Amino acid sequence: MTTAGPARDDVAVDVRRRPQRAALVGQAMVFVLLVIAAAANAALQPTFFTAYNLSSMFATFAPSVAAAVAQTIVVLTGAIDLSLGALITLASVVAVVLVDGDPSKIPLAVAAALAVGLLGGLFNGLLVALVRLQPIVATFATTFVFGGLALTVLPQPGGSVPVEVTTAYRAATLGVPNALWLILLVALLWVALRRSRLGIHLYAVGGNTTAAFATGVRVTRVQVAAYLVAGLFAGVAALAILANTGSGDPYVGSVGGAAIIGGELTLSSIAALVIGGTALSGGRGGALGSIAGAIVLGLVANIVFFLGVSSGMRELIDGLIVIGALAFTGAPWLRRGRQ
Amino acid sequence: MTDTSADLDRLSPRQALAWLGARPVLIAALVAVALFVFGEILSPGFAAYGQVLNVLRVASFLGIIAIGQTIVVLSGGEGIDLSVGKVATFAAILAARASAGGDEAILWSLVLALGAGALIGLVNGLGITFLRIPPLVMTLGMVGIVQGIVLLYTGGQPAGRSAPLLRALVNTRTLGNLPGILYLWLLIAILVVILLRRTTYGRWLYAVGANRTAAALSGVPVTRTVVTAYVLSGTFAALGGVLLLGYTETVFLNLADQYMLPSVAAVVIGGTTLAGGSGGYAGTAIGAVVLTVLDSILVTLRMEESGRLIVNGIVLLVLLSAYGRQRRLRQ
Amino acid sequence: MRSGGPGGRPTATLTTASSRGARVAYLQMAGLHKRYGGVVALNDANLACERGEVHALLGPNGSGKSTVNKILTGVVAPDAGTITIAGRRVTIDGPAAAQRHRIAAVYQDLSLVDDLTVADNIALAVEPTRAGFVSRAEVRRRAEEALAPFAEAFDRRELPVERRVSELSAGDQQLVEIAKALARKPEILVLDEATASLRAAQVEVLFDVVRRLRDDGVLIVFVSHRLEEIMELCDRATILRNGRDVATVERAETSEAELVRLMIGEIETHERERRPEPDAEVVLRVTDLRTSRLNGATFELRRGEVLGLGGLQGQGQSELLMALFGADRILGGTVELGGRPLRLTSPRAAMRAGFAYVPGDRGREGILTGRPILENLTLPSLNRRSRGGFLPHRDERAAANRVVEQLAIKLGDLEDSVGSLSGGNQQKVVVGKWLLTEPRIVLLDDPTKGIDVGAKQELFTLIDALTAQGVSVLFNSSEDRELLAMCDRILVLYEGRVVDVLAGDRLTEEALLAATLRIEEVQA
Repeated sequence: MTTAGPARDDVAVDVRRRPQRAALVGQAMVFVLLVIAAAANAALQPTFFTAYNLSSMFATFAPSVAAAVAQTIVVLTGAIDLSLGALITLASVVAVVLVDGDPSKIPLAVAAALAVGLLGGLFNGLLVALVRLQPIVATFATTFVFGGLALTVLPQPGGSVPVEVTTAYRAATLGVPNALWLILLVALLWVALRRSRLGIHLYAVGGNTTAAFATGVRVTRVQVAAYLVAGLFAGVAALAILANTGSGDPYVGSVGGAAIIGGELTLSSIAALVIGGTALSGGRGGALGSIAGAIVLGLVANIVFFLGVSSGMRELIDGLIVIGALAFTGAPWLRRGRQ
Repeated sequence: MTDTSADLDRLSPRQALAWLGARPVLIAALVAVALFVFGEILSPGFAAYGQVLNVLRVASFLGIIAIGQTIVVLSGGEGIDLSVGKVATFAAILAARASAGGDEAILWSLVLALGAGALIGLVNGLGITFLRIPPLVMTLGMVGIVQGIVLLYTGGQPAGRSAPLLRALVNTRTLGNLPGILYLWLLIAILVVILLRRTTYGRWLYAVGANRTAAALSGVPVTRTVVTAYVLSGTFAALGGVLLLGYTETVFLNLADQYMLPSVAAVVIGGTTLAGGSGGYAGTAIGAVVLTVLDSILVTLRMEESGRLIVNGIVLLVLLSAYGRQRRLRQ
Repeated sequence: MRSGGPGGRPTATLTTASSRGARVAYLQMAGLHKRYGGVVALNDANLACERGEVHALLGPNGSGKSTVNKILTGVVAPDAGTITIAGRRVTIDGPAAAQRHRIAAVYQDLSLVDDLTVADNIALAVEPTRAGFVSRAEVRRRAEEALAPFAEAFDRRELPVERRVSELSAGDQQLVEIAKALARKPEILVLDEATASLRAAQVEVLFDVVRRLRDDGVLIVFVSHRLEEIMELCDRATILRNGRDVATVERAETSEAELVRLMIGEIETHERERRPEPDAEVVLRVTDLRTSRLNGATFELRRGEVLGLGGLQGQGQSELLMALFGADRILGGTVELGGRPLRLTSPRAAMRAGFAYVPGDRGREGILTGRPILENLTLPSLNRRSRGGFLPHRDERAAANRVVEQLAIKLGDLEDSVGSLSGGNQQKVVVGKWLLTEPRIVLLDDPTKGIDVGAKQELFTLIDALTAQGVSVLFNSSEDRELLAMCDRILVLYEGRVVDVLAGDRLTEEALLAATLRIEEVQA
């Protein structure tokens, strides 16, 4: 029990608890990188700004963009989704098997991809929110489940996407590549989410789960919803991959062969959001930065390709970029405080 | 607040389960045994002496690579090392090239390989402690970097073979018809357990994992401990890679990449929580065996890779639900 | 009217001076029990309050006040007990349910999300929407409306509507937390240490708001350890001790002294034998020590003495101890041990110089939860027993057992998790682990916080024993009484400097209080 005196009259106030500069630098940096990467691309490739090239580029970027947004939504709540790549793969193979080259089955396939994404997201969400497993381990385990299911549905690369889809995907409407429209749609959906109640609750749960809980936010529901929405975007990514490649592949974006289905998709989604300024601990950042981050990584891949370097080096450069981005934003000289 | 002591008189089934849930190593061991029994039922001869040895031998490489993973996870701070697979591969490639199929340079090839692993681990550790980069991201980035180095070094064509001595060490059957690698694994395992339980470093490691602030305030050199953890991880991964080379004799570009995820799974199955500060290597070793036996059963069942993956995932989820659940929001 | 004598326990019903003829209290919490692991927080606690009153909840640290509040606001689930509001039994199974019952809370650890703006925080979980989207204009308007009553109290007198919470001062954050609770138009408002970070002027504004709410019929449950605030604001008070209620009193019929007596209960018996002061040599000389929180502290510490740190809380006492232990960066000044200057760059360096440190926050900084008691006890002294990096098992257990015996730590087995111990025994572990390092100077930061009387006595006995061997102790305590009972001299700190040193016949409550409040001593 304290016999503390009356409240003080004068207070030496230490206002800031955290340097704001670091956050700003993080967010702005990805756009700087974007400009640099685009410029480098344009310099290397004379045909950079042609319609054909832009179309192809965005067509390749769109799946990573959708994946990056999906991962961002989950990470904002302070969780993570290591199974994202596998889920995308699963959704894509289900859709390609259903469509079977038949244009009339397109709506069915689209619905199926989205549904698979939602179901996978629900599974993840329940494991994290209800069974209360740690997100990293739970989604680590579900990677195997989704990946295995993908292999069951489509054991070998194959299946065919109606040519109408692939053509439309590479075409342009009103002078803008359709794939870019898709990216813009994804961005728009994110902005809508950001301005909804769920959007704010994502940040609240990730920023300070206890405070959010004490204030009456339904934390469990938000956690499940985050994975559900991520699953939806995973479905979108799956459709974009199919539209881009024209056929199904249960090993799409794997790491080390079949070692883990969709591993590379997952890893690059994490890289994209890290570059884009979203904190892995949650509560800070946003998907617009992640979208830029995904495009940056895509442009870098282009550069590497044009330099004639083998694709293995791309992993190296990606690794350096990610580490460099974090080193800069988290660097000790931007911090104050005790040792 | 007054103190009271817990009363352990009545032992309901629920409490018995809770008791068991607090002993993951025991659960993992029971699961391993149960799987062998299950395998024997499915396919008589599965649990025969020779077969069991085979399973153990396959598990040993994973078991050794997972040593580093265990140490890193124990150090807390969301410690994880995603680069173990790549480092193992790199180490194997280095050793193969240095040996070139002969025994003369065997010592040098070992030093080179382990040194490379330690160096990579050092970079990881420094990035994580001084640059404050989350371990997940740092080691993830390192995967790409090591991959790039591998490509540069080999030009896409890995060359070399393991030294015959190494091959002999790993494969020769000695006492009880056990291949050398099993004795090696056992020896290394004992050393690791001693390191974790009976050395100053081991205490520091657990302290840092349990509560970094309290550890620092008790005089534990936190930075040094964490960086060392990653150095050890790289070193053991390299060791695993070299031994794997002794088994496969030649290298290919992604020789040990596939060990990355099972190494994490083995640690988790063995009861070491990803939060750090609790667990140990015995559990990981058993976890490695569990994963290998499970896979072996599924192969015996002629299950496709697809089914094996699903079962792996579900088994992991079930075990986690038993002893990996987190606190409720409302106490 | 008071219910229950000094040691007696009131029954659940009551009458009040401002009674509206109600026979059952508006808010009735009865038979509350709560246990966290091995620690009992509430043991049949009862609380009965009326509408339109400010009801204080008092008690020493660890008496259960916070737990009662958390049960009321749904953050904690009681093991047993009932809650009745306006005569009807209610179940509060979460914060959302509490809000449905028009209960709002201001928490000790603020419930604000740092990275969101003030407006977003105020609207959190009850955001106004238009066509599915959150209406920013409405959120802003509500925030302005909620913050308005506190307009004068904010730094720079501007409503920080769109600023991030992380950018605000502690006082402003507290005001936002309060405004957020009020924005939900509660019928029951819980203020748990809401004035901790507020300046006097801000407290006045808050009190005005509270009085207006009370006149409107709101029940305010007020928890504070500043007795003068209780006496100024509250109508009635319930005192908790050791997890149950011991009395409920009318403010008009009681006094600060009596409240203190009800809270403390048994009188502490320990009295330290004073050592004759002039003989002892100066062991530690600190000159003009500066850190981010210290503004030039200067003092001397003698061999075998217990030097207390007094003054208002938060004037640099804890920070001084941390700086001496190398846990905070020293920006200026010198520290000399036995005449030689020290470079206290890290806890390890401080330990090498012979310091030991018992931090103020046991759970967060003192123990390794989840690790065995043995490991906790032997951690700081590992290098003394290690042979080439190895730790012989027998030596460890022997060393640990020595400490267990000396401090009478009640435990099952050394390999049990330290989390299974009671608060008092955990604190003994936190203190005891240093015994094995044979320190010369022991830094204690509020070591008796939240532990039972018996453990306290044992700690004091230990301090006596240590100083008898020539060890010097720096002792920070939030209880003046404790300081006076245990210390040979007391430093009074203010704003990171030592402004007074009490010794000899100035070691009295009056002198300490006067020095603390920086007023002239009243000559009786």
